[in-house]
Amino acid sequence: MRGFAVVAAADPWVRWDWVHRHSDVILADLREHAELTGIAVVLGLLISFPLALAARRWRRTEAPILFVGGVLYTIPSLALFAFLVPWTGLSRTTAEIGLVSYTILILVRNIVTGLDGVPEDTLDAARGMGYTGWRQLVGVELPLAAPAIIAGLRIATVTTIGLVTVTVVMGQGGLAKLMLEGFTRDFRTPLTVGLTLTVALAVAADLFLQLVERLVTPWARAGRA
Amino acid sequence: MRFNRGVAIGATVLSLALVAGACGSSGDGDKTSSGTSSTSSGPKPSIKVGAFNFSESAILANMYAKALAAKGYKTSVRANLGNREVVAPALEKGEIDLYAGYAATDLEFFNKAAGQATGDAASNATKLNAILRPKGLEALEPSPAADQNSFAVTKATADKYKLKTLSDVAPVAGQLVLGGPPECPTRPFCQPGLEKTYGLKFKSFRPLDPGGPLTKAALEKGDIDIGLVFSSDGAIVAKNWVVLDDNKHLQNADNVIPLIRTKVATTEVKSILNDVDSKLTTDDLTKLNKRADVDKEDPDALAQEWLKDHGFI
Amino acid sequence: MGFLTDVFHWFTASAHWHGTNGIPHRLYEHTAMSLGATAAAIAIALPLGVLLGHGGRHGVGGRIGVNISNLGRAVPSLGILYFLAVAIGLRGYPGFGARPALVAMVALAIPPIVTNTYIGVGDVDPEAREAAVGMGMTGWQVLRRVELPLALPLVMAGIRTSAVQVVATATLAALTAWGGLGRYIVDGFSQFDNVQLFSGALLVALLAIVTEVVLGVVQRGLTPGGLEPRGQSGKPEAGEPAAQPAVLAPPT
Repeated sequence: MRGFAVVAAADPWVRWDWVHRHSDVILADLREHAELTGIAVVLGLLISFPLALAARRWRRTEAPILFVGGVLYTIPSLALFAFLVPWTGLSRTTAEIGLVSYTILILVRNIVTGLDGVPEDTLDAARGMGYTGWRQLVGVELPLAAPAIIAGLRIATVTTIGLVTVTVVMGQGGLAKLMLEGFTRDFRTPLTVGLTLTVALAVAADLFLQLVERLVTPWARAGRA
Repeated sequence: MRFNRGVAIGATVLSLALVAGACGSSGDGDKTSSGTSSTSSGPKPSIKVGAFNFSESAILANMYAKALAAKGYKTSVRANLGNREVVAPALEKGEIDLYAGYAATDLEFFNKAAGQATGDAASNATKLNAILRPKGLEALEPSPAADQNSFAVTKATADKYKLKTLSDVAPVAGQLVLGGPPECPTRPFCQPGLEKTYGLKFKSFRPLDPGGPLTKAALEKGDIDIGLVFSSDGAIVAKNWVVLDDNKHLQNADNVIPLIRTKVATTEVKSILNDVDSKLTTDDLTKLNKRADVDKEDPDALAQEWLKDHGFI
Repeated sequence: MGFLTDVFHWFTASAHWHGTNGIPHRLYEHTAMSLGATAAAIAIALPLGVLLGHGGRHGVGGRIGVNISNLGRAVPSLGILYFLAVAIGLRGYPGFGARPALVAMVALAIPPIVTNTYIGVGDVDPEAREAAVGMGMTGWQVLRRVELPLALPLVMAGIRTSAVQVVATATLAALTAWGGLGRYIVDGFSQFDNVQLFSGALLVALLAIVTEVVLGVVQRGLTPGGLEPRGQSGKPEAGEPAAQPAVLAPPT
């Protein structure tokens, strides 16, 4: 082996001087990653709610909706993005359409399960107290379904953070841009930074949503601790 | 208790990350400073410089950007955009204003592989301009520095099949695996050219990267037998590879040449860029590439150093 | 509709059915590696899941099990591929890029199997377990005769999830210089060839769906009548994501 290989082997996993010099790029990538995720999850939630409510209202649509969802779900993300590219190009739009699709698949299922899980006696009691229609939905069913819905949000958010990585093939990618640089240049530092921050972002988002769940379901606190 | 703290820490980290991201650079990672751009005389135009997905291109882009910035222009560098299929349309659409091209390859690309490129960089540049001008683009002066596609084999392979030139490969091509950038099967100077000019039909093609670490690792370890590397790559000498001689002149004068949008190509801009190019040599490129690829030095730091050494900043 | 006609022609072009870049070879690469990786993942994950779940779901085993699945979801597949490519290199059997691809595929397939096995085994009705112990069965026998058979549908659901995940990881491995069906998608991107891109996506989607459907049939076949994998009708347990099968995430 020549000197070439000796020098290459000396590449440390993190060169902090590189991190300091490129902190603006790192933060920009982190921001892009968080934005792509945030948009996908919020849009996904906005679309999933009506879909879930419709599926429950018209029970015969529930099976087809979940079935189509199940099939789309199985398609690997790279393939899903590839299906869209001939029509929407290498753009953020393509990325978001793909990302939102996956969040819908997760959220619809969880919202339906959550609402289905509200005990019938509770609903009877509520109706007896005058909670009907929308009031029942907003005042009784949703709060009780909250744990399941937030659980779905946690999965959707963490999953989306992972899927954003794949959008790097379309020039997006967020923190995956750093990982790609590490791979193409055989350079460990950006790779380590990109991967670590992606996992950290996912863990932080998950913990944050757990916090939200605790705040939103104060009655469950008695059962904890 | 432990769980509460964990949740609090997580929420803090997430909030900090979001706040830091919001306070960080604006936009999509461009190092742009705010300001107006103007095309006529008056405030100097702001110039976005793009680069291909290999270090030499990033170094050149940074050289142009910093030389212009030294004379008061607002510049930004968008490196790692991709191959020419990405970069050229970006220039045409105005997403970037300038990139460092290579005379023969860019001519063939814009001229739809018509085969007009020759070994004379100046004539390539003239033909290129004839096509670029109607698009609102132009090519400036070609530099003496050139970076050609080269095809290399390991010394062992060269000895085994007695290979010195690309013509020598013809009888054994069917046993060899070619490695190169994914666009190689569609580029006139790559696989189709090898077949047309030398009659080389390889056993298979492995898509890797443009003369980068993947191709070099694959060549070194024998996963490919012949790889596309750039003539300015320091690894060739370091690893004792044999560059097969292009005896039938498939490759043409791929001298570095700036391609720029006419809108920002003021007299001063042109003279700065031509000045930088005229002082650049192939040897410079080779040395800088080695430092970027092997030593992992930053392209922008390398550009800064070269400009300083040559009196531009 | 011109584009779709082009796609049709791509599939009928005879050149695309021969050689190392032909559909049969790429399909074979993809399927063979996926089978191998799934088998390896089962060999590692199944015993681990049993260990964690045997004797009930709560306690240390329970917490480890939940955390494995959560962590598995938080790590991006492409990131793992890039990381492994740089850490252990691209040289591998049976081809360039195979080593990081295989390791990544196995690693990412383990969490769903572990989680589902541990839930499946752990959720066995404690009364059934007590009855078995009361009948004089040893721990090993309880496992073999009571816990595993009852856990089988859920375990199978985990294997199904993993298999689809493996097919997806294999698709991404084309980005780290491997072959497989993902090659068409990745080359389609670099060559700006939308027809190749789309055709590759069709092949990949088809393989994933077939995998899911076939294993779904197997899973249903193994489910004793009247028994549903837990979670389908149950309420979400506090602290755990409500999903069925137990780990629900699209294949990355």
